[in-house]
Amino acid sequence: MAAYNNDAGFGWVTRGLHWLMALALIAMLVFGTYLAGMEPALDRLWMYGAHKTVGFTLLVLSMLRIGWHAWSPPPGPIPDLAVWQLRLSRAVQRSFYALMLALPLSGWVASSATGIDTVLFNRWVLPPIAPVSEQWESVGFIVHGALGKLLALLVIVHVVGAFWHRNGTLRRMLFGHRKL
Amino acid sequence: MNLLLRVVSLIALLSGPLMAEPLHYDLDPTRSRVGFVATFGSDRITGTIPIATAEVQLDFDRAASSFVRVVLDATGARASFPFATQAMTGPKVLAVSQFPTLTFESRSLAVGTTSATLTGDLTIRGVTRPVMLEAQVFRQRGTQAGDRSRMSVRLNGTVRRSEFGATGWADMVGDVVELDILVRIDQIRG
Ligand code: HEM
Repeated sequence: MAAYNNDAGFGWVTRGLHWLMALALIAMLVFGTYLAGMEPALDRLWMYGAHKTVGFTLLVLSMLRIGWHAWSPPPGPIPDLAVWQLRLSRAVQRSFYALMLALPLSGWVASSATGIDTVLFNRWVLPPIAPVSEQWESVGFIVHGALGKLLALLVIVHVVGAFWHRNGTLRRMLFGHRKL
Repeated sequence: MNLLLRVVSLIALLSGPLMAEPLHYDLDPTRSRVGFVATFGSDRITGTIPIATAEVQLDFDRAASSFVRVVLDATGARASFPFATQAMTGPKVLAVSQFPTLTFESRSLAVGTTSATLTGDLTIRGVTRPVMLEAQVFRQRGTQAGDRSRMSVRLNGTVRRSEFGATGWADMVGDVVELDILVRIDQIRG
């Protein structure tokens, strides 16, 4: 099982990152929406910490993923698709990378602006990356929520596309290659 | 000693309780406590704010000439969990970097049989609003009945933080903050 990507398929590093991050991102969309609507209580405070911890980990993984793909480029799209399909899937995939960076960054910005420490893994305090300001905070959380909704929408398009293609696209992300 | 002086000092001694001077007290910050409670969802946040300086003058015969002025050190305010401390001292609540102190200055003292009502002006975030505190006065442990030289005073009241512009986290933390203050005061003998 190859670690590197090649013209024929995905190595296990890319596939591992893809499925791990896919699960975590979807879970975070649900979790974040729950957080924003829940009744606060002392025994629920840990949930904010958990959301920030997983979110920041996803930011780091996104950077590793981008770095890995610069180092070991994934194969291009399987070329038997209509032009509009190629364009759409490329746009969705590029937007994913932008969102995987912008979503946690916006959460970090908004959290910094509250003036309350952003604590990861219950012990490390993330340095603030925005001034303590109500304006930064409210705009930050609006952006964070909006990007979350955009990501949810793109996940749907992406999943529908993956099943729609029926040309081995899904299989090569699962198993590395188009054919078993 | 001549007779005249004896008479004068006797009069002074007898008339003492009749024309009592207001008594001045030192507030002992280490044995005093300004506590507060606010709701947090279905839970409560508690905390304390240290006393920076206090001037206490009590007149047991003419309550109107009593006077209290207390300055609290907002930068030292602490809540029952660290996030709440940061939220409370931050710009949306006490804004301590801009307003490092809270002050209370009394306006009137109404003395009842078992308790007293202290009204005054409370300044939070530079905004001054009237506040009413119910006071109960106790002797400190080890003092005799009628000894007013060392006393404990418990003050209770509520403030609406929104009246002072301390509106941060209004969706999580209640507007009404209960104050529970216990001060120990010792008479200053001139
Ligand atoms: C890829 C990572 C992340 C995803 C997918 C994500 C997703 C979400 C979503 C969907 C919401 C609900 C927003 C709303 O409906 O208003 C949310 C809320 C929140 N997020 Fe994230 N988030 C991520 C990373 C982060 C990070 C890194 C931080 C902070 C360092 C953070 C802090 C918050 C906070 C504090 C809330 C609650 C906002 C509120 O109570 O209104 N998030 N997140």
